[in-house]
Amino acid sequence: MDLKAIAIVVSYIILAPVAGGLLAGIDRVISARMQARRGPPLLQPFYDVFKLFNKENLVVRRSQNFYIWFFLAFVIFTGALFFSGGDLLLVIFALTLSGMFFVLAGYKASSPYSFVASQRELIQMMAYEPMVLLCAVGMYMVTRSFYVSDIAFSHKPLIIYLPALFAGFVYILAIKLRKSPFDLSLSHHAHQELVQGMTTEFSGRALAMIEIAHWYENVFILGFVYLFVANNPLAGLAVVSAIYFFMILVDNTFARMKCRFALESSWAMALVLGLGNILVLFFIKR
Amino acid sequence: MPFLKKSPWILHYDGSSCNGCDIEVVACLTPLYDVERLGVVNTGNPKHADIFLITGSVNEQNRQVIHNLYEQMPDPKVVVAVGICAASGGIFSDCYNILGGANKVIPVDVFVPGCAARPEAIIDGVIASLQVLEDKRARLAAMSAGKEEFIVETAAVSDSAEILALQKLAYTNEAELYNDFSLSPLRQTLDELREDFETMTFLKAVMNGKIVGSVRAFALGDTCFVWRLIIHPLYEGLGIAQRLMDEIENRFTCHRFEAFTGTKTKRKIFFFQRRGYRIFASEQVSEKRGRVYLEKVRKAETNV
Amino acid sequence: MNLLLFLIGFPLALAIVLLILPWVGLRRALVRIGAIVLSIATISLLTLHFSKDILYFDLGSGLINKAMIGIEALVCAYIIYMSVRFKKYWAGILSLLQTAMLIVFELSQGRAAHVEHNLFIDKFSVIMALVAGVIGSLIVLYATGYMQQFHHSYHKGLKDQRRVFFPVIFTFLSAMFGIIFSNNLVWLYFFWEITTLCSFLLIRYKKTAEANENSFRALTMNLLGGLGFAAGIIYLQHFFGIAGLDQLLMANKTGIMLGVVLLCFAGLTKSAQLPFSSWLVGAMVAPTPVSALLHSTTMVKAGVYLVLRMAFVLQGTLCGFLVALIGGVTFIISSLIAISQSDAKKVLAYSTIANLGLIVLCAGIGTYEAVWAGLMLIIFHALAKCLLFLCVGEVEHKIHSRNIEDMEGLIVTMPKLSIMLQIGIAGMFLAPFGMLISKWAVLRALVDTNPLLVIFVVFGSAATVFFWVKWMGKLIIVSHPKPEMESGISRWEWTPLVLLSLLTIAICGFFPLVSSNLVEPYVIEIYGKTFTMSAGNIHIMSLMLAMVMLFPLSFFNYGKKVKVVDAYLGGANSESRTEFSGFRGEVKSIELKNYYLMNYLPESKLLRLGVLVTVIFMVLMLGAVWI
Repeated sequence: MDLKAIAIVVSYIILAPVAGGLLAGIDRVISARMQARRGPPLLQPFYDVFKLFNKENLVVRRSQNFYIWFFLAFVIFTGALFFSGGDLLLVIFALTLSGMFFVLAGYKASSPYSFVASQRELIQMMAYEPMVLLCAVGMYMVTRSFYVSDIAFSHKPLIIYLPALFAGFVYILAIKLRKSPFDLSLSHHAHQELVQGMTTEFSGRALAMIEIAHWYENVFILGFVYLFVANNPLAGLAVVSAIYFFMILVDNTFARMKCRFALESSWAMALVLGLGNILVLFFIKR
Repeated sequence: MPFLKKSPWILHYDGSSCNGCDIEVVACLTPLYDVERLGVVNTGNPKHADIFLITGSVNEQNRQVIHNLYEQMPDPKVVVAVGICAASGGIFSDCYNILGGANKVIPVDVFVPGCAARPEAIIDGVIASLQVLEDKRARLAAMSAGKEEFIVETAAVSDSAEILALQKLAYTNEAELYNDFSLSPLRQTLDELREDFETMTFLKAVMNGKIVGSVRAFALGDTCFVWRLIIHPLYEGLGIAQRLMDEIENRFTCHRFEAFTGTKTKRKIFFFQRRGYRIFASEQVSEKRGRVYLEKVRKAETNV
Repeated sequence: MNLLLFLIGFPLALAIVLLILPWVGLRRALVRIGAIVLSIATISLLTLHFSKDILYFDLGSGLINKAMIGIEALVCAYIIYMSVRFKKYWAGILSLLQTAMLIVFELSQGRAAHVEHNLFIDKFSVIMALVAGVIGSLIVLYATGYMQQFHHSYHKGLKDQRRVFFPVIFTFLSAMFGIIFSNNLVWLYFFWEITTLCSFLLIRYKKTAEANENSFRALTMNLLGGLGFAAGIIYLQHFFGIAGLDQLLMANKTGIMLGVVLLCFAGLTKSAQLPFSSWLVGAMVAPTPVSALLHSTTMVKAGVYLVLRMAFVLQGTLCGFLVALIGGVTFIISSLIAISQSDAKKVLAYSTIANLGLIVLCAGIGTYEAVWAGLMLIIFHALAKCLLFLCVGEVEHKIHSRNIEDMEGLIVTMPKLSIMLQIGIAGMFLAPFGMLISKWAVLRALVDTNPLLVIFVVFGSAATVFFWVKWMGKLIIVSHPKPEMESGISRWEWTPLVLLSLLTIAICGFFPLVSSNLVEPYVIEIYGKTFTMSAGNIHIMSLMLAMVMLFPLSFFNYGKKVKVVDAYLGGANSESRTEFSGFRGEVKSIELKNYYLMNYLPESKLLRLGVLVTVIFMVLMLGAVWI
């Protein structure tokens, strides 16, 4: 690994939680304003996490926190691999690996709420994985490479070539960001679903780690959105901000749907939008 | 670091409330009062919560639940009793089914009076509890850092005077419960206590040179009898009783442990039950008070 | 060549000896020695052939051909007898048809087509030999301990037929090596039919009505494939003079497609692709070593072996595309069905069918990338699936149930077995383990040639994540304390399990070596170029593997600084940690049951859909030969 890659990885590890926390803060403030409230201070997520470090570490089973550590480790690994320009397919599979550790943590806690939440999380993972993989395939078809570095610097406006895939990706973004209508297993702050979903039996430091891991994950996911408009950095940032705002709007206006709907609609989107886009590209390129 | 003040997470529980206070609590989350600007989040889960917000009083059905929820909250934690029912039973305090306010079961830090308590008062109460929370956190941190550590060690006959004083202080509260000041711990003399040292093992918990807790135990056959578990009222909730009991259970190799306490001393009953004790007998000692006997049979348990 | 003959002949000889010898102890010892000898022999095959290219061998064929014809006739007679006895006439009819067809053809025209080399060996054969020899031997060792328990403790009512069991297993292994090393298509067919017969005998081991039923289903479907095989051989020899695999691969593509398709058809039935998947699911009634050996690791691999051999011919053709479609549909439908299964062996069976479908997909595409992926899939799947089957067998013996729901808390009651189960499950779908590498390669292979097939891989792999993690999670939940029950497992069962677990991890760590020494040379031999994983990606995979391997270490610093409390049950926890006070104060226990989505992904409807679609594809495939 060359020096540049190491520098990117280190800066991701240090800066991503800061960015992620600020994003979470922005989310809460904008949501509050949409509800005609003031909302918490922008740095509230950081206060939350620091407070959690001061709390006692309660567990139901002694080894349940290990899974959280590995969840965090692999989320960082995924993001680091992504931002240092690695193979996109490997990135997606690493994300699945980290998600699996989170699900297993929910199982290990051996409590009804976290158990059901883990099952739902698995269904959600099953729902978004085809779409994400198809996006990667679509990007390959345009740029002839699976490497994020090649895709990001290809100077091709991927969103023009992959409009349907982009739309489908935004659809499943709600699942990844854990927002309505698809926050079935674990809803973010102040929203309860299955009590607190998979994090029900975690407290103190472990809960803080989960929160930080979600920040890393959100930064990575928004990075993925950025890839679609990577040819123009300013436009890219604008699109990412617009999409994030759009997700917050959707969160505040839609109710939570059932997991059956989440699965069916995500797979239908992947099949129709994803396959459609890819086939069109295939025949055009011929 | 004062982050507990900036991010207090609430567990809102309704005891036997008419829901009047509950509606006011929920009203605090609405745009008009918006407690989220203080960082308050209503988590439904004790493991995530800092503040236990209780409305309504304690009755037979919910006393175990309140105790469970309190036990499942991580330290540091505070309890805010909202409304007069949570404070003392309110207008229902004489009812046959109401045991009283929340402080019958768990230690309450802040009382918010009212029927129903107004959102402004509730918010005031929560903010007042934040300072208590911060103090607890500081004390716990100091204890774990070794600055304000308490140690559990065997007491000597020379400690008997201090232990007797503590005993009288601790049991005064219990006497008030029954309105019966003829309790034997209050009437024990110093000589009798010194005699007890010969037959029983005495443990003391010392903090900053002061005895803040004590327990005594003796073994008869395969049963260890645990007597007079006392904690200084100002030092409750710091885990001293747990440590004393841990030490007793480590030192005695009996298979069975027995303890007793008054029927109305719910906190102590729950404390023992949490440690695996079960009530197996009760008797009426005098017309004003009764006693329950608890026992624990030791067995191995794996925990993965 | 002597080593090849040894590998084919030794198990057969051992089988005959085992049938004759009367002493139980001696027989058992011989079985164990035989298994170890086989594995040593295959490893020495690896070292001997390590740096060589494809090698062909001559073997005087006159006598052997006549012997084969004779044995085929005997087998046919036996099958007819069995089918009449049990009134399953189709088996008898099919067997009669194909044997008669082939014998008549052989005797009349067979001499015209001359195969120069009857046996051969290349890197692909070495891989398959290692799978059969090493993994197969481990299963045989395991079986000595397992069958002992099976009869003495768990199935006391069943007749102890181990005297016949092990000879049949060794005969099967011998036939397996025969398939792997045969270049002569008729010899391949002969060994193929022997494996069908062995499978039939082994599935009916328990001699219950269900076992009988399923064994005939397996027999009939495999014979149907055999009929296709025979027809294909006759077609190729009669019209094109092709009698050997090497000739097939070098022939002009026009016209031979019908023969190729018929051979593929045989491969598809043998590997239980849709629409022929029901025999494999039904075969799970056999004892676990049979399920592991035949129905996941070796025999069904023979089916995909044949299809994969013909990948080069299928490349770029419409027939190949349809074969790939059949594989793809099988992959996704089986993965979806596996979600709704709670019987552990059925989950493993459907997962096997799904993975074989993926390999068939690779074979149908036929590019060098796809073949690389297919070979890696064979290796990794054989290892992980074998480990899983053997573990499930042990668990079934101890908890008397195959239901995944009964495996809750296994990490406390049977820690070592549950860890091995988790290694096996991880090996099946998780990055950075082998199957993931293969899926990654499949995707890369597909994007360049045919994006439509990407759909199957993408949706199917999402489904596999669900049912594997579900199972893994079930193992680690501890909601009720239970006693430990891992005693009473012999070292003949432990050793293969431990070795397989270590191998699964090691092969993943060393997969670049496996790739460059075994897989890539084969691909280069056939295609002239090969697919490698870039060094950067290899480093990343190794890093991931190292990180995952840290996980067990965390158990050393076991939860020291945490405080154990009860789970959140709405505050209604009662005295025991896993019970709560319910309605009217009644104490109830918590129950955690997995989602199976049975109404949402019903097995029968999905199967019907899959069968319909694949039958259409098969018909199209037969039609496409004329294009």
